Amino acid sequence: MHSKEEIFKWVVEILGREFGFSLEELRPETHLIDDLDMDSIDAIDMAVRIEEKMKLSLSEEDLQSIGTVQDAVDLIHGRLD
Amino acid sequence: MLSRLFRWWRVVATGSAFTLFGVGGLFAALLFPVLNYVPGSRLERETRVQRVVHWWFRGFILYMRALGILSVDVVDAHRLECDGGQLLVANHPTLLDVVMMGSLVPQLDCVVKSSAWANPFMRGVITAAGYIPNDAGEALLEQCALRLRDGRSLLIFPEGTRSPKGRLGPLQRGAAHMALASGRPLRPVFIDCDPPALMSGQPWYDVPSRPMRYTIEVGEAIEPPELGDGVTRGAAARELIDTLRDFYQERLQDQERLQDPT
Repeated sequence: MHSKEEIFKWVVEILGREFGFSLEELRPETHLIDDLDMDSIDAIDMAVRIEEKMKLSLSEEDLQSIGTVQDAVDLIHGRLD
Repeated sequence: MLSRLFRWWRVVATGSAFTLFGVGGLFAALLFPVLNYVPGSRLERETRVQRVVHWWFRGFILYMRALGILSVDVVDAHRLECDGGQLLVANHPTLLDVVMMGSLVPQLDCVVKSSAWANPFMRGVITAAGYIPNDAGEALLEQCALRLRDGRSLLIFPEGTRSPKGRLGPLQRGAAHMALASGRPLRPVFIDCDPPALMSGQPWYDVPSRPMRYTIEVGEAIEPPELGDGVTRGAAARELIDTLRDFYQERLQDQERLQDPT
């Protein structure tokens, strides 16, 4: 059972490594599109890394439901629960 | 008085040029389907159409130059010739940018705003030429990368639409992803029109006080990095776009300094 804090660290690690974002840019309320300018290809790459790391599967609807970093954390936490 | 007369002349001349372009588009819509019956693969037929479009655009620009509507200066034009195809990435200040680029490069695939297919003067030509709509999503990336790997030249405007006046709009990363997926270089092209004309939201008859001077500067190729070994697609695409943005911003600032030395 993984805590949300642990999942947040994983998500931040993935976003930092994949896209070069600094830790300061990645807060729970950070919006992936409005703040980080992520596009559809970035979303796919992020999803692939999350699926590899956390051994789960994300649908297109799942991706569309993710607005902020916290949304991603909550989604993953719900899946791993 | 004389300058006003010349301006009115350019309004009439510009109107005639756009009329000619529209008539040409309708004529091409009739002619190009006939070219489809000439033997060859789909790609060969599209290339044939693109070469016809190239000569048409060259003639159109020559017409506008002859009437005194505009002048054109191309810097480092030799860089447009490339064995093995390249991705030409240009800023987009005016309505004539595609025509300008098409007049310079005989074989040129283009990513075009999808709304162009709703324009009856353009639909026939862009379909026959095999231009690619910009709303094709992930398939757009694959299609463009394939064409680049096949040794074709491709034009894309990373702003996705015409630039705001005197500035650069936000750059989308599609061009960077195409370069990474294909392994082909990005060739930045800076287009400047002085005085500004045919901008987004500006009617064709809003002709400037003097003839337009187009300057097209072809930059050095930007090679995409190889992915892997800590180089990820997302980070590499951002770095490529940052390099591209710097290229355009430097030149926009140079233009600003020239126009307002104070």
